[in-house]
Amino acid sequence: MDAEAVKMLAAGLAMGLGALGPGIGIGILGYGAMQGLARNPEARGPIQTNMILAIALAEAIGIYALIVAIILAMVA
Amino acid sequence: MTGPKKRGCLGCSFPVLIIIAVIVIAIIVLGLMAGAIGQSLLGKISWLSWMSVPKPEPHLPAPVLFHVLGLPITNGVLAGWITVIFLVVISWVVTRRMQIVPRRLQTAFEFILGWIYDLCNSIAGEVNGRKFFPVVCTIFLFVLFNAWLSLIPGFGSIELIKYEPVSEPAHVTTADGHEEEYEVVTIDGEEYIEHKYELIRGANTDVNTPLALALVSFIFVAYFGLKTLGMGWLKQYFHFGPLFRSIGRIFKGKLSIMDIFSGVIDAFVGGLELLSRFITIISFTFRLFGNMTAGEILLLIAAFLVPWVLAIPFYGLELLIGVVQALIFSLLTLVFVTMAVSSAHGSESQGHE
Repeated sequence: MDAEAVKMLAAGLAMGLGALGPGIGIGILGYGAMQGLARNPEARGPIQTNMILAIALAEAIGIYALIVAIILAMVA
Repeated sequence: MTGPKKRGCLGCSFPVLIIIAVIVIAIIVLGLMAGAIGQSLLGKISWLSWMSVPKPEPHLPAPVLFHVLGLPITNGVLAGWITVIFLVVISWVVTRRMQIVPRRLQTAFEFILGWIYDLCNSIAGEVNGRKFFPVVCTIFLFVLFNAWLSLIPGFGSIELIKYEPVSEPAHVTTADGHEEEYEVVTIDGEEYIEHKYELIRGANTDVNTPLALALVSFIFVAYFGLKTLGMGWLKQYFHFGPLFRSIGRIFKGKLSIMDIFSGVIDAFVGGLELLSRFITIISFTFRLFGNMTAGEILLLIAAFLVPWVLAIPFYGLELLIGVVQALIFSLLTLVFVTMAVSSAHGSESQGHE
């Protein structure tokens, strides 16, 4: 493999593996929010707001992987 | 069906509806064929030049456009200034003629500000919420309108073209295997390298602006922590007191291993707290920077794959992401400053015991 191929492979791996964790995290968050919503449908508003906030926090970790992948693929 | 009987659907009569549907489908099909997907499937069909979108070349570091008093001004800084001017002008317009019964614009801004004010009050309490509100709201408004303004056509699509004389160092930087394609043009018999820079692009797509915001948030937290707790705030991070006291007790002849051990652990925990405080800055920075940059690149790629059509849903997504990121940045600042202020009460109550 030449350097370019390794670079592209590394970018793809960084994005794919880096998306695993946040995906699981967002899944757990959605699960929790759904359970809370099913038990207490009146609390829809606060649950939704807090769920979106927490999802964005979990998503940030995927974004770090994305930055690494972009840097690998386009800049480095 | 009550009401007057109307032929048609969605408020249009059937011929108009059919015409609109045909136009929309034509745009979608043309976009699919003219984009990168269609071109790779159908082979090279020579489209008109304005129908196909060139391959996007996002560059992460913001290019320097010009210098003011020796300071480099990048296109991100320019967009930041535009955001600030926009906010100042719109605040002036809104507050120029305030009315008891608010008009449309005033209602919108009263809604946004009132919402953030309630958020501050509910998290930080009545007294502190009023104190923290200005900075938190400023961060929110800046990040939000920065993200929204950079969706307007003209941001990132107006290009500034610079000509530089061909020189040896330019060739050295391009020869390191990196595919930076400069077009060499000839003007008046001399060769120039053509640089194309976007005139303005979202300020948070350059890593320096989120870093500056994160530092502002850090200083804000540190200021209120020091103001309310005094040295007690620093004690969380440099917690050497128990260690020194236990070492001092050795000289008095009372050797206790457990004291020294817990002192070391306290100091170590303080160091970890200090480290996590600095990691917070980095995480603030890259969260905002990554989200904004990813959005920008996503729009570029969508416009490249299927022009005209695919980018439209992503514009909606970017509107939502702008709100969420602004909310997260300001809310986390608020939570951290509330923690910094309220940990004083915790240590005070411990001291009284």
